[in-house]
Amino acid sequence: MEGSRYKAIGVVKSVIIHSFLMSVALTCLFPLFWMIRCSLMTNQTVFTDKTLIPRDLHFSNYIQAWVDGGFGIYFLNSMVYTVSVVVGIVLVSSLAAYAFSRLKFPGKNFFFGMFLAAMMIPLPGSFVPMYVLMTKLGLANTRIGYILCMISVGLSVSILLLKTFFDKLPHDMEDAARIDGCGRLGIWWHVALPLARPALAVIVIFNSLNVWNEYILAYLLLNDTSLMPLQRGLMVFQGTYSVDYPILMSGLTIAALPIILIYLFMQQHIIKGLTEGATVQ
Amino acid sequence: MDRKLGIMLFAAVMVFSLSCSGCGKKQEDLNTISVWHWMIDRNKALEELAAKYEQQTGIKVKIDLFAPSEAYTQKVVASAQAKVLPDIYGILDKKEIFSAFIKGGFIADLTPDFKANNSEWENWFFPKALDVNRFVEGNVYGVKPGIYGVPLDVTNIQMLYNVKLLKKAGVKAPPQTFSEFLEAIQALKRVGVSGLVSGWGELWMLDCFSSNYAFNIMGEEKIMATYRGEVPYTDPDWIKVLDVFKQLVDKGALLEGVVTKANKYAEQDFALERAAFAFNGSWCVNVYNGMNPSLEYGVMLPPAINSNLPMKIWGGAGSSLVVNNMSPRKDKAIAFLKWLSEKDQQTYLAKETKNLPSNREALAEIPEVLSSFASVMDQATHPTFWALNEDPIVSEVFLKGIQSILIGEKTPEQIAQEVQKVKQEQLSKKKK
Repeated sequence: MEGSRYKAIGVVKSVIIHSFLMSVALTCLFPLFWMIRCSLMTNQTVFTDKTLIPRDLHFSNYIQAWVDGGFGIYFLNSMVYTVSVVVGIVLVSSLAAYAFSRLKFPGKNFFFGMFLAAMMIPLPGSFVPMYVLMTKLGLANTRIGYILCMISVGLSVSILLLKTFFDKLPHDMEDAARIDGCGRLGIWWHVALPLARPALAVIVIFNSLNVWNEYILAYLLLNDTSLMPLQRGLMVFQGTYSVDYPILMSGLTIAALPIILIYLFMQQHIIKGLTEGATVQ
Repeated sequence: MDRKLGIMLFAAVMVFSLSCSGCGKKQEDLNTISVWHWMIDRNKALEELAAKYEQQTGIKVKIDLFAPSEAYTQKVVASAQAKVLPDIYGILDKKEIFSAFIKGGFIADLTPDFKANNSEWENWFFPKALDVNRFVEGNVYGVKPGIYGVPLDVTNIQMLYNVKLLKKAGVKAPPQTFSEFLEAIQALKRVGVSGLVSGWGELWMLDCFSSNYAFNIMGEEKIMATYRGEVPYTDPDWIKVLDVFKQLVDKGALLEGVVTKANKYAEQDFALERAAFAFNGSWCVNVYNGMNPSLEYGVMLPPAINSNLPMKIWGGAGSSLVVNNMSPRKDKAIAFLKWLSEKDQQTYLAKETKNLPSNREALAEIPEVLSSFASVMDQATHPTFWALNEDPIVSEVFLKGIQSILIGEKTPEQIAQEVQKVKQEQLSKKKK
């Protein structure tokens, strides 16, 4: 009797929790569904057809978006930028965070404070000085210039996240590695980095998302269309006064796909990385 | 092992740097003009024209699009600071920023070119189109008087009517006077069609409509006198202006929800034939074409109340381009802009982009609806051309007051008194 009562309470609780989670999931997924739905309509039916699944599906919108938006070169550019920036951030931030966490050197706290202070400056506020600097260095309108700027943009948060993670790593494992003949770089490569995999997953996904969706800095630094990222292609469908919604939505779907895939591949590490990286021992 | 890892890291950084720097800056020759713009819908047409120009002259024109306009503005400001502006570009900011660029030596004075050969180039344009780029003698910005930009197109705001819906209601011709307009509304109501839609949730649209009627009812002199504080808002003419909105409400002339509607939703309503009239700008030709290409509509001036004074509409230059004063290709850039504003190129741009040409000679060969919009450009006015503008606080109270009339909350007389009270407060603040 008592057992079935507990079972009933458990079922009710589970139904309530699942209903809540499902409604949250629906709220998150509905805009994605709406984007795909609109991508298969025409500019006229977007405003008139109120059905959830449109009667006539126009898959040709995707081809038009790819061709008219010049997605071929932009897609390639975005891939190059995302991979280069993420690799650069992971490399530099993990080395810097490891140094801040384990090494003793003069001005350590000051330099760490400087990195944290960089987080407080809003990105648009640093655009003009960044552009002037890149122009003086002869790096404006070059891929390397844009990649270096984006690495610099993503470093602060990544260093903070990884330093917090490294602070929590037990020293015993490093001592054991040292006995086995590892130097500082060896410990960083063979011990610290593999253990920091959850935090690295968070850094990869956050920075990938950031670089993939970035366009304002790209517009500022780059002039040649052949150097522009994918977001430039999406702009073509937003006229000064009017918007071609189905083609824009097709373009957005294409642009969102790689990020959704990265998220799906790395999702198991994300929660772990966020919670472990966010708490200080 | 550490050393090996260090060498590997160093090698990776070197390979990465070298591979990226291989895609670096290209040298530009003196026969290539660079144009930066923000007009997405005009990009393709501009590229076509640039190719044509290269064929004719051998001068290459590189058209670079940077949108949205906010990103473009930032790029122009940053490039000015780094002194790497292109040969031709546009200033989207306020006239203060425009003047700052001129004073900084970033914009060429085009007056000698416009005035050459008895102002041949200047005479191609609608005068209102050039006014945006003109600085008059004794201007408040301290800029040397002259013309500093070339308008690519013009724009104005008028009323549109749906041909099919008017026919359905038995209205034979678009109304010319306000009373005819109200009669047409009654006829439309009888066949279940809504009257007027506009984006009056956006105060500037309301400002534009009320300003049109203020010009028609009392004329520019009296409006300026009101701004100076010499005529009160409780004057019968101002009550008449406010009463226009009360009459629209009382006669059921407005589509439901017009008072909170953003203009893009109002555009949808007219394009989808939910209302017979719209108050909208010439850019709507593009918008309606995208939403409903088979929409049959015409253009008319807002129906006048006072036949003794003209109905003034808001309008002026749509987009303008300027020439970089520091460019070594300045003369070539000016020559290209002059070519771009010739009749043939303007006709091509208007046909392809459905914007109004800035060259008045191009009117004859463009689609009828664009021609109707552009034909009354001489009746256009805009607050930026006026000698005086109303205090922003007073304007806001006036426009929000109109919204109160539209929702039936207050009467024109009450609003007039409220506005006058705020006006007096502002005037006494200024005196102090």
